Amino acid sequence: MKEIFWNSIAEYNAATWAWQAAFMAVAAVLTLVLWFKPKKWAKTGMKIYMIAVSLWIAFVYYMKFGASREYSNVMTIFWCLMAAAWLYDLLTRFSTFGKSGKYRPWGIIMLVLPLAYPAVSMLRGLEFPEITTPMLPSAVALYMLGMLMAFNEKINFFAFILILHWAVIAMSKIGIFNIPEDAILAAACIPSMVIFYLQMLNSCPQGLRPSTKTVKILIFSVAAVLAGCMFIA
Amino acid sequence: MASEIQDRPVTEKHMLEIADFIARYLSYMLGAGVHTSRVVRNSKRLGKALGVDVSIHTSQKTATLTVGSEELRLKDTRVIDIPAFPISFEWNADLSALSWAAHDHRMTLDEVRTKFDELTAKPGMNPVFVLFMVSLANASFCRLFGGDIWAMLVTFTATMIGFFTRQHLMKNKVNHYIVFIVSAFVASICASSALSLGIETAEIALATSVLYLVPGVPLINGLIDITDGHIQIGISRLVNAFMLIVCIAIGMSITLMMVKDSLL
Repeated sequence: MKEIFWNSIAEYNAATWAWQAAFMAVAAVLTLVLWFKPKKWAKTGMKIYMIAVSLWIAFVYYMKFGASREYSNVMTIFWCLMAAAWLYDLLTRFSTFGKSGKYRPWGIIMLVLPLAYPAVSMLRGLEFPEITTPMLPSAVALYMLGMLMAFNEKINFFAFILILHWAVIAMSKIGIFNIPEDAILAAACIPSMVIFYLQMLNSCPQGLRPSTKTVKILIFSVAAVLAGCMFIA
Repeated sequence: MASEIQDRPVTEKHMLEIADFIARYLSYMLGAGVHTSRVVRNSKRLGKALGVDVSIHTSQKTATLTVGSEELRLKDTRVIDIPAFPISFEWNADLSALSWAAHDHRMTLDEVRTKFDELTAKPGMNPVFVLFMVSLANASFCRLFGGDIWAMLVTFTATMIGFFTRQHLMKNKVNHYIVFIVSAFVASICASSALSLGIETAEIALATSVLYLVPGVPLINGLIDITDGHIQIGISRLVNAFMLIVCIAIGMSITLMMVKDSLL
């Protein structure tokens, strides 16, 4: 199972490295434009990019190169759901990609973290093409999470909980497929979960039951359990 | 023109006010998912405490209430729409207790009405809290059926996605049958990602991810209503619950056909 997993990654990297570089370049340009001159076209462009990159993972990574893995079609459907979440966002103009100062430094770190994937692989002694890259599913999910964190004025919550689910999958993959790089996504996702749910809690009307303090304790407890599971993995 | 039921004088105007109140009381109870015989029993108790006789006929969407006084030789009948409130065990308990309080402490209509307004105006549940608790409940079901820690975690997040989808669609007033189909599909397709990990208990995660949708209250109420003799509304409630179960089955079948047709 591990061998099939790493072979499919190697085939994917060998065949698509130029495409991967192009995707990363587009992501870098759109991120920089949104950061320094947040124009409307850049916001729409970023959502279209998110749809495109989700479909890329669904059809190119899982359907074409991951076809030899068991139940790769499930992952194709999951990433199509991710694309649907961004398409819904694009059509309803839900998330604003508006600047919000409080968590931006944390967002910057997460936007850069996908680049750590190949570095960690090389530190482990792996060589191209059998290494993780920023265009693997977990790294892409991490980039999406970084965008949500850096521009979290009003976020696409559907996309966030799908990323959270992916982080849980990533946690279990650490041991099963010997891919410790996925710990990066899991580690980034837990504080993000706390931040986004606290934001969601603050946007709820006042006076609901149970008290805000109780719900905060619940959120922190669940985050602690998830962190514990990551440690087990 | 006054009558004395339990030493309480009732005028025509007062009787109509009582009828107004009992109509509201029973519509709230039926809307909140209380079984029929309890609603009838509580409304009759309340009527007796306030000095009137109460007769009720219920159906799925409406109820017919007749309030009368033998002394006044007067009856007032009205048809009430049953509002669709979320299921509330709290209203069930509080409003039942109110009818006993009215009976035991001989409360006046104004006192009962004030207390009723207080009880029904209590703030609702925090949606974030509900989202977490439903997800935790489903993860616990997964454990009860033999799922391991990874299956539980997958069930937790899959339920969270499904329930969030349900909350979002219901907020946008989408037809609730469609809401059930879509939510069951989304939760089960997310839970099916456990299959790709080769976890032994992945199928338990898949099966338990939709349990939060099972309409337990309508099923139980339907059975209680039938055994208590309220056959008509009992069958209506069971048919309604059956339709929701069919919707869950459709949502889950779409997932199974896509990912694991050997299970279907």
